[in-house]
Amino acid sequence: MSEVVKLQLIGLCVIGLGTVILLFIKGQFLRVIGFVAIVLGLFSLVALAVPQMASLPPAEESINIADIKTPTDMATIGQKIFFSKGQCALCHSIGPSESARCPDLKGIGAKLSREFIFESLTEPQAYLYLDYRHEGVPKEYPARMPYINKNPIGLSRNEILSVIAFLQQMSGEPISVSPGELDLPRATPAPVKAADTGALAMAQAR
Amino acid sequence: MMNQGQIVTNHGRQIAGRVALLAGCAALLAWVGLPDMALAQEAAPQAPTAYRDLPYVGSRNLVWIIAQLHLLLAGFVLGVPIFAWLCEIVGWKSGDKRYDKLAKEFTKLLTSSYATTALFGGILLFLLIGFYPKLMAYLTDIFFPSFLVYCCLFLVETATLYLYWYGWDAMAEGNGKKFHIFLGLLLNVFAFFIMIVPNSWATFQASPVVLAEGSDFARAWAATWNPTWWPVNIHRLIANVVLGGYICGAYAGIRYLSAKSQEERYHYDWMGYVGNFIGVFGLLPLPFAGYWLMREIYQYNQQMGITLMGGFLSWLFILQAMLIGVLFLGSNYYFWLGITHRIPGSEGQYRKPIMAMLIILLLCLAVWMTPHSLVASLEEAQKMGGTHHPLLGVFGVMSAKMTVSNLMVLVTFMSFIMYWRAGKEDSAGWAKAAKALMGGVLGLAGLAVIVLGVWGYFVPAIIRINYFSTSQVGIVIFVMLTITPLTALLLKSAKTTTEMVWGKMPPRAGYALVLNAVMVILLMTLMGYARSSSRVHWHVYGVMRDSSQYAFSPALGYAAALMALNTFLFCMLVAFIFWVATMGDKAKAAASSKGSVEPGAIPAMAGGSPALDGREAEASKEQRPV
Repeated sequence: MSEVVKLQLIGLCVIGLGTVILLFIKGQFLRVIGFVAIVLGLFSLVALAVPQMASLPPAEESINIADIKTPTDMATIGQKIFFSKGQCALCHSIGPSESARCPDLKGIGAKLSREFIFESLTEPQAYLYLDYRHEGVPKEYPARMPYINKNPIGLSRNEILSVIAFLQQMSGEPISVSPGELDLPRATPAPVKAADTGALAMAQAR
Repeated sequence: MMNQGQIVTNHGRQIAGRVALLAGCAALLAWVGLPDMALAQEAAPQAPTAYRDLPYVGSRNLVWIIAQLHLLLAGFVLGVPIFAWLCEIVGWKSGDKRYDKLAKEFTKLLTSSYATTALFGGILLFLLIGFYPKLMAYLTDIFFPSFLVYCCLFLVETATLYLYWYGWDAMAEGNGKKFHIFLGLLLNVFAFFIMIVPNSWATFQASPVVLAEGSDFARAWAATWNPTWWPVNIHRLIANVVLGGYICGAYAGIRYLSAKSQEERYHYDWMGYVGNFIGVFGLLPLPFAGYWLMREIYQYNQQMGITLMGGFLSWLFILQAMLIGVLFLGSNYYFWLGITHRIPGSEGQYRKPIMAMLIILLLCLAVWMTPHSLVASLEEAQKMGGTHHPLLGVFGVMSAKMTVSNLMVLVTFMSFIMYWRAGKEDSAGWAKAAKALMGGVLGLAGLAVIVLGVWGYFVPAIIRINYFSTSQVGIVIFVMLTITPLTALLLKSAKTTTEMVWGKMPPRAGYALVLNAVMVILLMTLMGYARSSSRVHWHVYGVMRDSSQYAFSPALGYAAALMALNTFLFCMLVAFIFWVATMGDKAKAAASSKGSVEPGAIPAMAGGSPALDGREAEASKEQRPV
């Protein structure tokens, strides 16, 4: 007997019990309980009558740096990091978007050099906007960009290079980072879990 | 008869007893229970434990039940002070003591329900720390400063609640009353902050923001101001008012059904009316707050919005439509029963408009409940040319649903206005012009909502969402803001042709009130599931993945069974709290009916009117032997 059938039977029993209470019991409070039981039973039966779809989690991504052979492999990994551990898509969009809170990154790989992108990710305050539209000292606008190589995101150098590879590929540019630039793991290769290693590292560090 | 001092001491003992019980349970759970539970560690033995499980029941099920009960109790505890404070102000302004008594009696419930809410909050905290240590460490790391703020808020809220409740009689007149009302305001302000602080934790899980480096306070503040924080705050605030109102109505409905005397029927009929009124008062703006929340979710992350509205949760919104539809029908039905039973001779006069409103509501509900994709066999789907029905498929899209939900709000608003005006005759010279204006505004508004709804099919979604849907909401709000003051002005000078007669409602009115409360509770449980499931397999969306065995979101049927169970448990808890809180009153009423106190002077529960008390006192004098 499937779970749905079992739950339907329970729902029917609850409705039956509620009906019996309403038919044979005179105490008002118990009658109200019977009425509530019928309402809840009917609700459950309606919910069981619609398509039963559960949301299953996708398999966890496990990326081994040793498997990276080509710049395209790096870009593929960079794309995964961009949308998960790197949290880039929380603020940036690729293409125009009303919901993006920070600059659109479409074509960014063609506009900026890989060195500038690397610096923007690891030293976001290196260049500050200054507002001269008033008297006196210009007002500073520090970048809202967090340090990507520090907690809580904490991308490694390899991961940042992979993200740069993705940004260049997505902009239609030749990928200028190569697998040979990656730091080889000292012991067991550290798998890049979808997102939680950064959070765990942060909790442990603190 | 107990004096005030004894009552205070007894309440103090009760609260101390509950606190001791809470501490005892917590200590027992922490010391004995948790370490012995079967552990489902996903990491190596040396690594920190990420998850623990509970055999047979499952950690998620237990947390689901306890969290839901805590949340519903919290909604009740935060909704009742708003309800009580509004009643107190009405009583103070109008001089009608019934409202003051109603407010006082509901505030009395707060002391016991406050302790029960804290008890469930404590249990929930221990369970979360035990079952999800990694997630809790992460959240603690971000939100620790707000934990401290939360503790401080609890201290001031508790102190204010004690002052508000124990000072009720001492601050009953003059400036004392004003100060007491100010205390009520403070109580609600602190309660509001108590609500929004944990909201920030939950909304951060759904819509996290990137946290740059900074002080602990700066990081907590940045995490708190996440995109869905304020939409959820406003939505929950209004929903709590609705919950408080409808639960008061349900309580009155049950007491009305079991009332022994005409006086009791009178009291509880009136109380049911007040509860339903406040519930509807909150219900009308609630869809707008929900729309804002949904819009923010879409803006934050379109994928999350699609998961909710078009993904595996899309059928949930059909259930939501059903529950809201029944709630609207139940609320209107209660209004209509009130018109036909409380105002003698009005049955014939209002039959036609009531029938028209019923037909509009049912049609709107049918459209709202029409799914986007039909459940069809392969053959049926082939005949239809897909899962979209050639005719009904038109009603399955957002444009139709936004239109009918706005129309339902309009109809319910008109039901309320009709009830308000029933039994009265306008005497102002400008009454005709005002009525024509109101009719015109209503007709044009209805037409505009429908035109925008139909037009919405022919424009891109972004234009419909940003301009058309918001305009529809704006039109309905405009109607409310125009017609309400106009009606109030008209009724100021109106003559009462038929007095309302309380206590004449049929038993089905009591059941309608209970049904409304159950619908609201079910809606809260359903939307809690939606909010939680929209994160799919993430503890913190896009940041911290759920890698436990419960990372999947269960299907709607299983979830609905748990929702029904939670609703039932919550109803039983509230019934128990009401029973405990009014036990003393019943004993007092029984003793006073045998003793020297005037019968009828102290009703068993709120709602005794000065006029009624006077009548009862007169009657008792007449019956007294000379």
